Amino acid sequence: MEIIIDGKKCEAQYGEYVLNVARRNGIQIPALCHYDALPGQATCRLCIVEVEEGGRKKVVTSCVFPVTGEMQVFTNSEKIQRMRKNIIRLLSARAPNNEFIKKLRQEYGLLPETRFSGDDKENCILCGLCVRACDETGISAISTVNRGIEKKVSTPFDEASEACIGCGACAFVCPTGAIKMLDENGIRHLWNKDFELVRCEKCGEYFATREHIEYMKKKYGEDKCCSFCEKCRKRIAGEKMAASYRK
Amino acid sequence: MELQDFSHVRAILEHYPPERRFLLAILQDIQKHYNYIPRASLEMVRDYLDVPLSKLYSMATFYKALSLKPKGKHVIKVCDGTACHIKSSQVIIDEIKKVLNIVPGTTTGDGKFSLETVNCLGSCAVSPVMVIDDRFYGRVAPSMVRDILAEYGRLENERA
Ligand code: SF4
Ligand code: FES
Ligand code: FES
Repeated sequence: MEIIIDGKKCEAQYGEYVLNVARRNGIQIPALCHYDALPGQATCRLCIVEVEEGGRKKVVTSCVFPVTGEMQVFTNSEKIQRMRKNIIRLLSARAPNNEFIKKLRQEYGLLPETRFSGDDKENCILCGLCVRACDETGISAISTVNRGIEKKVSTPFDEASEACIGCGACAFVCPTGAIKMLDENGIRHLWNKDFELVRCEKCGEYFATREHIEYMKKKYGEDKCCSFCEKCRKRIAGEKMAASYRK
Repeated sequence: MELQDFSHVRAILEHYPPERRFLLAILQDIQKHYNYIPRASLEMVRDYLDVPLSKLYSMATFYKALSLKPKGKHVIKVCDGTACHIKSSQVIIDEIKKVLNIVPGTTTGDGKFSLETVNCLGSCAVSPVMVIDDRFYGRVAPSMVRDILAEYGRLENERA
């Protein structure tokens, strides 16, 4: 099926999210809490667009709005611009010093804020993507804690979590770089816990924590994984393939 | 240190099938019995329902009715909803602060009273409203506070 985004005809599949269709067609919609493999947060609200279906217009979050039929999408109408500016101001009231949000402010020509003030050290916009990533790995070591203005993401009792395997998925997906993960001298520091890093058997680079590797072994089987880093694994697979062709 | 007897947690758990949908009910029961959710009990719930500890902690910190710190024997809830606020609930809260020497969200040193604020108890007509345990007080005036609290026993925290 075909939908029209900002005047451009775009091929789309039934059920596909508007944001994905737009991106594939080179139309950029700003988005923070969206990650292709983990859709469904819709918490940052940045990706709002106007959708016109059956003659009626409404504002929706494009990262979770599915294509179900003919529609026209406006990603940058005056209304959307105005609303998005406000959203950016609110996000930056939460995390005033965050680089990603500062850049957005700039892009949208926002003047320095006088109305809202926030915590200069805060980087988390509470989008929940990290919690989702951790849940998806099957670990669920972190969660949102408290509520209202005290809400935050943390481990139970803010302590080193027994469950956490230090895989770093949370830090990896975080759109604002709010999760502090530090690898130094073979140790990974994350969520108040220290993890021993293990070297790749081929190239010798540190590539994963001991706990993560144990977890993978349990999940996928001893022989299927866990001795090589991503790069080497690909290279080995490639070499095997090449060898099989040569035969 | 939690030198408590957690056999009652067992009893509460056994009261429910090990299904996630009973999670809140279980936590409420624990709260009711112990006046808070002891950490060890969270771990017992985790093992019983096979729910990650982080989710339990999230829930226990989300609901105001649940508390990870021991609550007082008597829980004072002062309504600070719109109607009560306009009717000077803040003055009531200040008065309680003065009498018991605690701020909202805390418990007196002797463990007798906890003070909380809530948002509208649905009785705006008799605002300002205050509830202690299950007893309801409407049209509370600051001058009544001391007497009301005294109904619950000697006010040990009271400054002379
Ligand atoms: S590093 Fe720990 S908290 Fe982060 S996603 Fe992995 S297991 Fe979860
Ligand atoms: S990307 Fe759609 S709401 Fe955050
Ligand atoms: S505002 Fe207090 S009862 Fe409604």
